Amino acid sequence: MIKCPYCGHDNMEGALVCDECGLNLWEDLQDEVPTRELEDEANELSVKSGWGTATFQDRNQVIIHIRDAAEPVTIAPGSEFLIGRHDTSSGITPDLDLTPHGALEKGVSRIHAALRRGEDVLSIVDLDSANGTFLNGQRLAANQSRLLRDGDEIRLGKLVMHIYFK
Amino acid sequence: MSFVDYYAILGIDPAASRDDLRQAYRLAARRFHPDVNKATGSSALFRDINKAYEVLNDPASRAEYDHLWQDYAITTPSLNVDIIYSRKCLRPISEPQLLYVLVKIQPLLEMSMTTDAPLNLCLVVDRSTSMKGARIQHVKSAVHRIIDDSAAEDYLSVVAFSDNADVLIPAQHPVDPRSIKSVISIMRADGATAILAGLQAGLAQIKRNIQPKYVNHIVLITDGRTYGDEGDCLTLADEARDLGIGISAMGIGEDWNDRFLDALASRTGGASAYINSAAAVSRFLQERVRSLATAYAERTELIVGPVPGANIKAIIRTSPDPMSMESDLQPIPLGSLDGKLGTKLLVQFHLNTGETPDGNFYVGRIDVSGQVLGSVHREERIIKDLVVEITNQPVEEDPPPELLDALSRLALYRLQDRAREAVEEGDFVEATRKLEFLATRLFESGEKNLGQAALHEAQRVAQTQRFSEEGIKQLKYGTRAFLPVLGDRND
Repeated sequence: MIKCPYCGHDNMEGALVCDECGLNLWEDLQDEVPTRELEDEANELSVKSGWGTATFQDRNQVIIHIRDAAEPVTIAPGSEFLIGRHDTSSGITPDLDLTPHGALEKGVSRIHAALRRGEDVLSIVDLDSANGTFLNGQRLAANQSRLLRDGDEIRLGKLVMHIYFK
Repeated sequence: MSFVDYYAILGIDPAASRDDLRQAYRLAARRFHPDVNKATGSSALFRDINKAYEVLNDPASRAEYDHLWQDYAITTPSLNVDIIYSRKCLRPISEPQLLYVLVKIQPLLEMSMTTDAPLNLCLVVDRSTSMKGARIQHVKSAVHRIIDDSAAEDYLSVVAFSDNADVLIPAQHPVDPRSIKSVISIMRADGATAILAGLQAGLAQIKRNIQPKYVNHIVLITDGRTYGDEGDCLTLADEARDLGIGISAMGIGEDWNDRFLDALASRTGGASAYINSAAAVSRFLQERVRSLATAYAERTELIVGPVPGANIKAIIRTSPDPMSMESDLQPIPLGSLDGKLGTKLLVQFHLNTGETPDGNFYVGRIDVSGQVLGSVHREERIIKDLVVEITNQPVEEDPPPELLDALSRLALYRLQDRAREAVEEGDFVEATRKLEFLATRLFESGEKNLGQAALHEAQRVAQTQRFSEEGIKQLKYGTRAFLPVLGDRND
């Protein structure tokens, strides 16, 4: 059995491409991790076994579990909800300020990403951040929104958080 | 009737004794007899095995056969079939395992320089109301190009259809291109889309000059859906295939039924294409006709017969004109074999090897046949047995890059296909998920436009629970266009 590192699907022995998500399993196995630091990072990406719903209605709220934070943050995002860190010089304050969670050290940009509410869906978009936004381990292309699902893992630079719908 | 190598079919030496023969027959029966093996390909193979045994087991008929075999044995085959395995060694485990096999059918090199095959071609053109304006104009000039390009020995006919079909140009050698072009020029667009009527008239024209050394082919160009006669069209395609006539289908715009046109083409081993702008019609049609003219063999067929411990999960033609083939309809028609590209197919097996290590595992048999055109004109048949090794020894095996490449591309096409199935089953969450996977893979491969299209459809499905006709065709034919292994067109 070969477990897909991207979507967690159990593939048959001998599979070269994930039957579920199309990942090239062989190349993925060959990509050796070069440095210790990155390896730790790779280990942090827990492979999810199931998929949550993508339906996000008006009454829904988002609960964000920030890794190593004591309390989860509950938000009710509007049409655009900015995530980043506060900057005194420019006076920028995003809707969710990650400064208390070590945003600066972990490479979170001032305007890093945004949650966008669509019709019954919630998506995330990377706003051309310096260190990138990762959705379930996959780096997002800048300014291209991706749907979020209940239970998704988001990483801004090195800051990991999980998203739950309520 | 073509010559069949019974010794190859039974896998024995021509000098084999009757005991050897019986043993070989018993082994073959254990593998392919319909009582133990329900796969349609295997039953097709067993018919020949039976016949081979009947002929060779009788000393008198064997002597007669051997006489013919001597002549056969000294001729060099004109087709080559290469088998590429995803791996040659498998571990002995109790769970099923995957094995991919790439089947490459190619002309033998020294013979690939033969001149173009003569065509017996019928263009069946939609002239329904929806074709009005630019579409019909582009189709007219496309047909004009084909008339100009045709060779003196070709047979050409043109049928236009709307509510019914008119033979604009009855089958003839293009001796007077100007006058036949003028007939095309006055074609007007009105009425509905009755594809069956068009195909029937087209088939009748092809039948008038049907010859084995010709490439006999119908090209259908349409922009709409035919109502109520799709089943009859498919029956007609089966009839065409049995006569050795291929059908290719080209859909213009968004409103035609892609599954229907695919089925129509695949039944005869033909090709189908999506033409999103009318201006591209001429290029597509020219390319299609050129590929027919450079055909090296016609009426090629493939049989894949697995043993009882092996199951065919999918058979996909990866090049040219990628298409999923129905493994339950065997022999699988592959149509004409392009002299340059050859034909490549990917077969996916699920194997139950069991836990007994060490030894060979016989997966099944590949049987390729076709009529080679040109100077060597004859029926060719190549048989290949598929065997892998079962071993507990750790083996370092890199999958062949060619196969890996084909698989990665194929994965995109299948994601698209499964997203569509999910929508049809009403599972919109699953469909959205598949489309998002597809978008991710497309962005990874640098295909930004298609990736965007996939994302767009994902949002659309999530919100409206439907695909857009345009989006689904763009994704389907876009991911399909990806399938030919890179470099194919140039080497």
